[in-house]
Amino acid sequence: MDALSELMNGFATAAHPTNLLYAFLGVLLGTAIGVLPGIGPAMTIALLLPLTYSLEPTQAFIMFAGIYYGGMYGGSTTSILLNTPGESASVVTAIEGNQMAKRGRAAAALATAAIGSFIAGTIGTLCLALVAPQIVKLAIKMGAPDYFAVMVLAFIAVTTVLGASKVRGLAALAIGLLIGLIGIDPTSGQQRLTLGIPELADGIDVVVVAVGLFAVGEALWIAAHLRRTPADIISVGAARMTREDWRRSWKPWLRGTAIGFPFGAVPAGGAEIPTFLSYVTEKKLTKHPEEFGKGAIEGVAGPEATNNASAAGGLVPLLTLGIPTTATAAVMLGAFQGYGIQPGPRLLQTQPELVWGLVASLFIGNVILLALNLPLAPMWAKLLRIPRPYLYAGILFFASIGAYAANLSTFDLWLLLLLGALGFGMRRYGLPVVPAIIGIILGPTAEEQLRRALQISDGAVSGLYNTWFSKVVYAVIVLVLVVPPIVGRIRERRASRETPELQHSDRTGGQ
Amino acid sequence: MSTSSTSVKQGRSELGVALLLLVLGGWAVIDALRLQELAIRGPIGPKTVPLVVGGLLVLTAVLLAIDVLRGGRGEQEAGEDVDLGHGSDFKTLGLLVAAFVANALLIERLGWPVSGAVLFFGTTYALGSRHFIRNAIISIVLSVSTWYLFYLGLDIKLPAGILKGIL
Amino acid sequence: MAIIVGYVPTPEGMAALDSAIEEAQHRHQRLVVVNSSRGESLVDPRFATGAEWHSVDQRLADAGVDHELVQLVEGKDAAEQILALANDLNAELIVIGLRRRTPVGKLIMGSQAQTILLQAECPVLAVKGKA
Repeated sequence: MDALSELMNGFATAAHPTNLLYAFLGVLLGTAIGVLPGIGPAMTIALLLPLTYSLEPTQAFIMFAGIYYGGMYGGSTTSILLNTPGESASVVTAIEGNQMAKRGRAAAALATAAIGSFIAGTIGTLCLALVAPQIVKLAIKMGAPDYFAVMVLAFIAVTTVLGASKVRGLAALAIGLLIGLIGIDPTSGQQRLTLGIPELADGIDVVVVAVGLFAVGEALWIAAHLRRTPADIISVGAARMTREDWRRSWKPWLRGTAIGFPFGAVPAGGAEIPTFLSYVTEKKLTKHPEEFGKGAIEGVAGPEATNNASAAGGLVPLLTLGIPTTATAAVMLGAFQGYGIQPGPRLLQTQPELVWGLVASLFIGNVILLALNLPLAPMWAKLLRIPRPYLYAGILFFASIGAYAANLSTFDLWLLLLLGALGFGMRRYGLPVVPAIIGIILGPTAEEQLRRALQISDGAVSGLYNTWFSKVVYAVIVLVLVVPPIVGRIRERRASRETPELQHSDRTGGQ
Repeated sequence: MSTSSTSVKQGRSELGVALLLLVLGGWAVIDALRLQELAIRGPIGPKTVPLVVGGLLVLTAVLLAIDVLRGGRGEQEAGEDVDLGHGSDFKTLGLLVAAFVANALLIERLGWPVSGAVLFFGTTYALGSRHFIRNAIISIVLSVSTWYLFYLGLDIKLPAGILKGIL
Repeated sequence: MAIIVGYVPTPEGMAALDSAIEEAQHRHQRLVVVNSSRGESLVDPRFATGAEWHSVDQRLADAGVDHELVQLVEGKDAAEQILALANDLNAELIVIGLRRRTPVGKLIMGSQAQTILLQAECPVLAVKGKA
């Protein structure tokens, strides 16, 4: 009940004309970048970070959250019409969505994606509004050791779950932590890793880091490997669906929401895993198994609902604990820090207008998104005709202006180039970027909590795990580390037992 | 044959990544060791975390080297607009970096309206666009309008350079 | 010797193709259909899709014209591609479609048709799309 009255106040904030305008701009921009190739929500928010120098935090975050949600919508359009997913979260949508489009059912695929996203986004936001205060109640009692444990969990989860190679994930995290260390140590006032360069004493500005790794690194990487053949696009009118489509879609929407929201809330690499899970679930539960692989509407409805619900879920740990679970959330956390606001359990008390205004604007943004996407899908598809040189030139242009504006110093431009080169190298050698950005942004906070925890325990290491909460978290960490390899090994063994040839070679090997 | 030789080549450059991690780790450790511990502010001083991170970097360097020697290869990042069929296009990359560097060198001398336009025009050229008139118009409009946007909208004064007094 | 037609999947392009088929039948010449994209954007509506390209092939086969289809993505303008090909094949005639353009549009975007008309060494037949 309390949360609801707070939410009503939030609607009053969100309904302010200026805030409505920023919500509208956010979802418009979000949808556009979701459609455009090579630009994701993390990069867009990074490029827009300079706005935080003059915008009120409430307005900035309303816009950023709109971009986050909108990006999920826009990604589905390209997945369905082009078979090239605009965002990693829409990869699964492409499987059935593009097949539907090829069979002349593009309008229905777009409609189930848009309406499913709307429903999942709305339910997800409602869950966020209800769950967040509960988590805050729990989190308000959390001490330094608990925080440190949660951050270690975030580091471990993001490095082990993401990407094919754990070593490379760990290397990326270590690089991020190293970059996060650059600057003056807050307790002793000594410079660390600054090489005596005065510009580095304050640390590297979050704008420069985010823009360098995401925008410049990505633009350079794509430019060096540009796809040249134009893709075949399927033309389509306004999105709409039949009664039969509705009947087949509503359950996958709800199941997708149920899968997406909790997965979004844990640091497990964003929407890739839950969307895949949703696809597999729908494939198992469907009454039309013969249609799967040939354009089954359930295979679009489920994953599309899932990715929007996971975006809402991702906001829970960000707003209540200050822990980002995706690249986009990490950049948003960077924006919070830029304002001198530390997201965490106290955020709801210190900045109720910001948090509830943000939540309320998400509801409004969802409605705007539905209105923008149902009738306007053909118009969004036209964005794909923008020549790539302008697209990537634009990215480098706005990256440069943003980095320079951070401190009005050319030094940041050189730093930006260096970080861009790092981002390029990481993409080239399969080091995932997300652990690095989370390491950079979360690293300094983790160090602070570690120091505080050991200060309280007077140096005894037990101070890190002497609360029940931290014990639980460390148990989870152990599970995350131990279970997947064991499961993998058991599966391998079972597979080898079920394959007679292998058994045979085992025997001959034994002789 | 050509595939195996490129694989060996990539393996060698992947060992370079391990070496870079090792160097970064060493840097973190050496830098940490010269820091002074101040015991007053709790048991963990400024040294500890850099030492741990440095150690982590050295560890990942070793693990990565082992992985590469065993034949593990980093997966190049795929993407909707990325074609990994051909190798890196270093000519495009070089031109892009040149445009970027030109902006960094010119921004305080000639001002953003000029250097930004050079940056945008240069990058479109690097990426293969040859509509020179159209590109020049877009470049100038974009750099001048962003200058005004930052000046009026965000109250950030980007260098006006040679156009000082005109804008 | 051959006739070259620049094809785009638009009314002008169709009109050009119609005229080119007539010319090829009339002159008993081989017809080379060129469709190209600079490959700059992910989606280029002037680049024929597989289905469109196939239907062009079908139409030429039905008309009984000796033909060749050329689709190019080489980062060059259509005019450049057509002129180069006309040179290589020692073309007898180039057929292109014309669309209505504003002077400003022509200044900014350039005109492929104008480039071909001014630079081609063989006769050029320019056809307007059916309104």
